[in-house]
Amino acid sequence: MAEGELEMSENGPVLGRRDALLAGAALLALGGTRSALAAGVAGQCILGVTQEAVNFNPLLYVNTGVETSVEFIVFDALWKIDPTGAFVPNLAAEIPTQANGGISADGRTWTIKLRPDVSWHDGAPFTAADVVFTLDTLLNPKVVVRSRNGHEHVASYEATDDHTVKIVLKDDFAPYMVSWQKTSVIPKHILAIVPDINTAPFNTQPIGTGPFKFKSRTAGASIEFEPNPSYHGGAPKLTSLVQKYVPDQQTLYAQFQTGEVDIYDTQGIPPLLYAKAKTLPGSKILLSASPFVEFIYFNCGKPQFADKKVRQALYQAVDKKGWIDAVYYGVPIPTLSYLPPNHWAYNKTLKDPGFDLKKAAALLDDAGWKLGSDGVRAKDGVRLTFSMSTTAGNKSREQAQQLVQQNFKKIGVEMTIKNMPASVVWGDYTVKSEFDTLMVGWDALLYPDPDYTDRIGSKLIPAKGGSGSNYVQYENPEIDELCAKGTSVVDQAERKKIYDRIQEILLEDLPFAPIFAYEVIVGVKDRVHGYEPDPYTPINSWNTAEWSVS
Amino acid sequence: MARFLLNRLGQSVLLLLGVSVIGFALMHLAPGGPMAVYTLNPTVTAQDIERVKHQFGLDQPVYVQYVKWAGGMLTGHWGYSFFGGRPVGIIVLERIPATLELMGSSMALALFIGIAIGVLAAVRRNSVFDYATATAAMLALSLPTFWFGLLGIFFFAQTLGWLPAGGIESTGGGGLPDRLQHLLLPMLVLAFVLVAKWSRYTRSAMIDILGQDYMRTARAKGLSPARVLLGHGLRAALVPLVTLAGLQLPELVGGALVTETVFSWPGMGLLFVNALGTRDYPVLMAILMVGALVVVLGNLVADVVTALIDPRIKLAHA
Repeated sequence: MAEGELEMSENGPVLGRRDALLAGAALLALGGTRSALAAGVAGQCILGVTQEAVNFNPLLYVNTGVETSVEFIVFDALWKIDPTGAFVPNLAAEIPTQANGGISADGRTWTIKLRPDVSWHDGAPFTAADVVFTLDTLLNPKVVVRSRNGHEHVASYEATDDHTVKIVLKDDFAPYMVSWQKTSVIPKHILAIVPDINTAPFNTQPIGTGPFKFKSRTAGASIEFEPNPSYHGGAPKLTSLVQKYVPDQQTLYAQFQTGEVDIYDTQGIPPLLYAKAKTLPGSKILLSASPFVEFIYFNCGKPQFADKKVRQALYQAVDKKGWIDAVYYGVPIPTLSYLPPNHWAYNKTLKDPGFDLKKAAALLDDAGWKLGSDGVRAKDGVRLTFSMSTTAGNKSREQAQQLVQQNFKKIGVEMTIKNMPASVVWGDYTVKSEFDTLMVGWDALLYPDPDYTDRIGSKLIPAKGGSGSNYVQYENPEIDELCAKGTSVVDQAERKKIYDRIQEILLEDLPFAPIFAYEVIVGVKDRVHGYEPDPYTPINSWNTAEWSVS
Repeated sequence: MARFLLNRLGQSVLLLLGVSVIGFALMHLAPGGPMAVYTLNPTVTAQDIERVKHQFGLDQPVYVQYVKWAGGMLTGHWGYSFFGGRPVGIIVLERIPATLELMGSSMALALFIGIAIGVLAAVRRNSVFDYATATAAMLALSLPTFWFGLLGIFFFAQTLGWLPAGGIESTGGGGLPDRLQHLLLPMLVLAFVLVAKWSRYTRSAMIDILGQDYMRTARAKGLSPARVLLGHGLRAALVPLVTLAGLQLPELVGGALVTETVFSWPGMGLLFVNALGTRDYPVLMAILMVGALVVVLGNLVADVVTALIDPRIKLAHA
């Protein structure tokens, strides 16, 4: 192989800030405005992305982002979430509720009516058998599905007729509504007969029910889709839709500028180029809310972080505004919770303890952490020193770490930076809670459902044999109780009260310190119409049938 | 000749076996692994991670995994990508044409220009031309290729709008002129660095040759200066260059990591960068084995060609 090793490309909007070529960014930011070597082709819209989608089976792919984008173009789930947060029927004929009898009074029996007028891209009719087959596949131990999306709560399911599915849950699980918004249905007539779904040709030649049909893929370059004229949601207006893979952010920005791509999507324009991008002629620059929240993760299993006063002091010592303004050019939105502030369940009464080094230092004094002669606090022989880790090469995060390091130093806390390649830091190092602190962006498991049990439940600590994602090793019986209650109540107003309280406790206990909710900077050429960011569906290909180009 | 080839092939097989063992071991010893991609996905639980690990066989001892993999390799089953689920053989093979196109064209161009510059610089040693090309070569070798790439994109794509900013062809294809337009910039960027190398090699090889007695003899025979230089001088100077070219052959297939990434060139280099990032072991091992095979073959070809152009070298003794 020639030349040096590049840093790895990452996963998800938060983690995709691959601006290793910063020198070049500055250069491109000076950019000329001469445009259009390749003016757009009539009827064709080109989506530019910096990661390559390789698996199009909606249950198997791993890369949430570019592969989800393909999923929404080719497949359908039972319902969608619109930009107001409301569920709208897709393959289902109506949204099941307790009022219309779709959900039983105890919330455990779901009767879902399906649209009778939907067909697969190969012409075969879509029926309840496909929904049942999708559940079979999700729960099949031989199939490498990415996530069971909450369907592990299912006790039994059956097709009661061609267009009705009955599902019984084994326990109370209010987020189940989101499970079926996140689960695209796959065709039984094709996949029931393949020897191994994991390696089926279908995974790269998908057949769905969605607005566009898969047309062709050029490895390492692009995927083309053609409209499905008989789409049940109305025929798409475009004649061709392309997802184009351009691995380098700066190059993708250049292609957006020259009109070689119409939409700079998914991971978004680097914040460094935001100001410049806003002046590009013939383009709109939109901020698209992301469910990802940036945190400092404290490993509560380490002696430095066992006392919540330490975590509170550290949170007060962090200049969150400086972090957002200096590193991210003011783009992200501050948040005090694991939810972004635009979410329906966000607790608007949360009080920011603020940035106050004096109070932070006083808090540590009170807790018994005394300044040593080396300028670092200590208590009972434990020095207040720790490492912070994130993906190496993520320039924005590295800058933020330096800022935080300076903040902490002022209150006698020593933080070292210990970054590693993504495949290392997010492996056992995270899962088995080997870290001291992490700088990380995550969203709720079944976002936009506010359930957060998986990350805060005391039974869900992998380092203690649990099976969840409670990597901070947080344990609080009140939280366990509230989490259980939150998933057993279906009524949204009732749930809001429970999640308000959970957010309040988390801001007090601070197992992780919320900093901001990401906003993706999306570039859209003026020739594209109908593109609408949806804060509840962060992948913006959710309504491609409505898109058109002029 | 036949005996030499057989001998070398035998050695090659052993070498490839060694490479596979070391490569496999290093890959599994290196920190991190394919599961990080799953951890990063917020919808994936720790339970899912354990399940997927088991499904991929990653919970078995490394030697068991190796035996399974090697057995598969020998019987033609290269395995499936962890993330795409596609056969690894196809994933690798479909990237080779793009890399051959880019590397082949830039190497051919670089050889031609590099040798010409090297010969001229050797003949006109210490002239303005010699110093100018030496300085340019130093610059080309010291500045990173991604910088040249971005500079090229800035001038020719963003500012002047003459050339596309990346990709192998316009979306949907655009015929030969379109492909050449896409090829031009990455080819020139890569060739620039290669010209720098080749011109320096050629220059020093030629300087050695120019001082040889047989060159004086050739001139004394009354041969034309061009004939002396190219027929006698360059031919002799090519011997070490062929060896160097043979050693560069792997790059022809291996591709250029940075250049392919900057120009969105869908070749092996880009595939490798992606597979490395996700620790897609089956894909990485396949690339490693194809790379090792080409290195072995490249050396063999260099040896054979050297013997063909230099009658003093006898393969039997090699």
